[in-house]
Amino acid sequence: MKFIDTHHDQWQTAGGEDGPQPHPPVRAHTLLTLEQWHAVRDTWPADVPAGVIVANTVDIETLASDLPRLGLLVLQFPKWVDGRAYTQARLLRARYRFAGEVRATGDVLVDMVPLLQRTGFDAVQLRHDQKQAAAERALGFFSGHYQGDVPQPKPAFARDVAAELAAKRQADAEQFAGQGI
Amino acid sequence: MYAYTEFDRQFVRARAAQFRDQLDRHLAGSLPDDDFRALRLQNGWYVQRHAPMLRVAVPYGVLNAAQLHQLAAIARQHDRGYGHFTTRQNLQYNWIPLTQAADVMDKLADVDMHGIQTSGNCIRNITADALAGVAADEIVDSRPYAEVMRQWSTLHPEFAFLPRKFKIAVSGALEDRAAIAWHDVGLQLKKNAAGDVGFQVLVGGGMGRTPITGTEIRAFLPWNQILCYLEAIVRVYNRYGRRDNAYKARIKILVKAEGQKYFDAVEAEFQRILQEDVGAGLQLIPQAEFDRIAASFARPAGVVPAAATAAPAAGAPLAQDGTSLAFTRWLQRNVHAHQVPGYKAVTLSLKRAGLPPGDATADQMDAAAALSERFSLGELRVSHDQNLVLPWVKAAELPALFEAARAGGFATPNIGLLTDMINCPGGDFCALANARSIPVAAAITERFADLDEVYDIGDIDLHISGCINSCGHHHSGHIGILGVDKDGSEWYQVSLGGSDGSTLSGASVPGKVIGPSFAAEEVPDVIEAIIDVYRAQRLSGERFIDTVRRLGLAAFKAAADAQRHITGQTAAA
Repeated sequence: MKFIDTHHDQWQTAGGEDGPQPHPPVRAHTLLTLEQWHAVRDTWPADVPAGVIVANTVDIETLASDLPRLGLLVLQFPKWVDGRAYTQARLLRARYRFAGEVRATGDVLVDMVPLLQRTGFDAVQLRHDQKQAAAERALGFFSGHYQGDVPQPKPAFARDVAAELAAKRQADAEQFAGQGI
Repeated sequence: MYAYTEFDRQFVRARAAQFRDQLDRHLAGSLPDDDFRALRLQNGWYVQRHAPMLRVAVPYGVLNAAQLHQLAAIARQHDRGYGHFTTRQNLQYNWIPLTQAADVMDKLADVDMHGIQTSGNCIRNITADALAGVAADEIVDSRPYAEVMRQWSTLHPEFAFLPRKFKIAVSGALEDRAAIAWHDVGLQLKKNAAGDVGFQVLVGGGMGRTPITGTEIRAFLPWNQILCYLEAIVRVYNRYGRRDNAYKARIKILVKAEGQKYFDAVEAEFQRILQEDVGAGLQLIPQAEFDRIAASFARPAGVVPAAATAAPAAGAPLAQDGTSLAFTRWLQRNVHAHQVPGYKAVTLSLKRAGLPPGDATADQMDAAAALSERFSLGELRVSHDQNLVLPWVKAAELPALFEAARAGGFATPNIGLLTDMINCPGGDFCALANARSIPVAAAITERFADLDEVYDIGDIDLHISGCINSCGHHHSGHIGILGVDKDGSEWYQVSLGGSDGSTLSGASVPGKVIGPSFAAEEVPDVIEAIIDVYRAQRLSGERFIDTVRRLGLAAFKAAADAQRHITGQTAAA
């Protein structure tokens, strides 16, 4: 999971004084609103990476033909308990094989990070008050899960969960090795 | 019951550790209330009127003696010595300080228990027929299927934050003892002409402000496709269910608003899951996996069919004098037919004077666990109507069990009768409630203390909820009582003619309200007046629900209105 620091992010929005520019200029790593993307997609060069911010009410199906041209999709959590973007991410990965970055923004808590990772997000912009260390700890509790997900499409019954458990214990032990515990 | 593997056990421990981390951050001030709420809810922790409430999951109502002993110990060590069994087959504590929450989760994990998804806007603990695996009228044992679905729904990453709560119930018998049509998804296991197992799938049932019973979306879904099909149902709901208004956010509203369009969307999504997705088909349940889980539910080795061991003849004199009528009644009401010759399932009634319906003290939990160890191979069930069931009782041991159950206070022979009422904790505990429900239940229990009278009234479902959230299932009661709040005081709406979908009650339907709400003091009089109309007007052998349907509401309403000693004056003033 990549943690995004907006001050050091290569992706930049194309805003103007009065909000998003209606027809932004071609520039690598431009992060566009869906409206902006619709305005430029017919002329946007294939070799210039573009990203799109997608509201959680958008049907991912409507973006299907654009996906091969996009390097980043930013999905939104207007409230952290609104879980629509999990479905969007899962469909992007499992159904449309989207290989670019899928990033979570908005009201994103550290405790969501395991769910984000499992539904196909690979980058997250945490809410300003959230600690990255806590998010990383949140990723470490489980050796595996019952149902298949994006990183691991096989459900528990199709995997060697005993081996996973042993590997997790080994990793946990190594983490404490040399710490005198 | 399902035998936990090391993976299952570690999973529950990991969940307890994760919760401890969240609780520590909350108590340290770095995880504010607003953020912690949804996290604690998904582990069963509410904050209610006096203290936090913990709802412990009892998956599809199956419990063993060691677990119940542990629940008793937790009640003693962390609560005020009691717990409450719910209509969703779970157990609730009311007085555990939040600072002890993580320790309690560790103790639950010690006996393979947890509070995962017993609250919150996620797929809740799955409920089932309390007699699954032992019922005489069983078509297919629902427990292995419920367990497969439990595993699938547990910490499902895509469906942890749905528009609203999502409840699944499954039945595999001829009689519906799980009220499946009242659930977001109701599943009825069936066999087709070829003997293949499949699910009839209902969707869009629910109580609350807008009571609706589920609609059939699939008549027969092959059993091994159920996880993919549920995924389609829940995904379409997650995408399109309303989130602007919590009262319109349940799937029933989406199904009602979209109708066939919703059904078509689910079928299309289902096909795409199977045909297009990475790992398509991986969630089809392999026979080997089903067999692994089903092996946990094989008939226990100690159960040996007895060649027609007759139950002791009803009314036969017992060693203890004066018990024969009580024993006869107990055989009639609390003892149920079994699929193994020589065995019976026995209900331990948690409906008795002096304790709220469904409540059990720590001592009673230990006593019930001890009864299960002595008479039922250490296994119990929690029933949808808030009683405990011993599923493996030898018919020959019924007299001994009766005596022991009576000594423990579990032998009230009232199952299915007026005093076997369903009741939520209500305003005494619950922060959501508009009115108290426990005192109303107590007043009615007191009014109908005469067992002869209760027997004469016969089969009847009385359901009481302290608010429109309907935890006491008032919509499905033959008589439903709903607590409402008007100007800060408690009032009670009475409805008649509801059904949970059982054979006796008829097709699932919400009851009809018989008029403006009543004062708390009037409620026992109103119930008595309604019962009196029934007793005066019933045909020979006619049950209450049938008399209500034959007569219509008017006669009952008139009798109820005649009891308006308080509300009548207010109306006149």
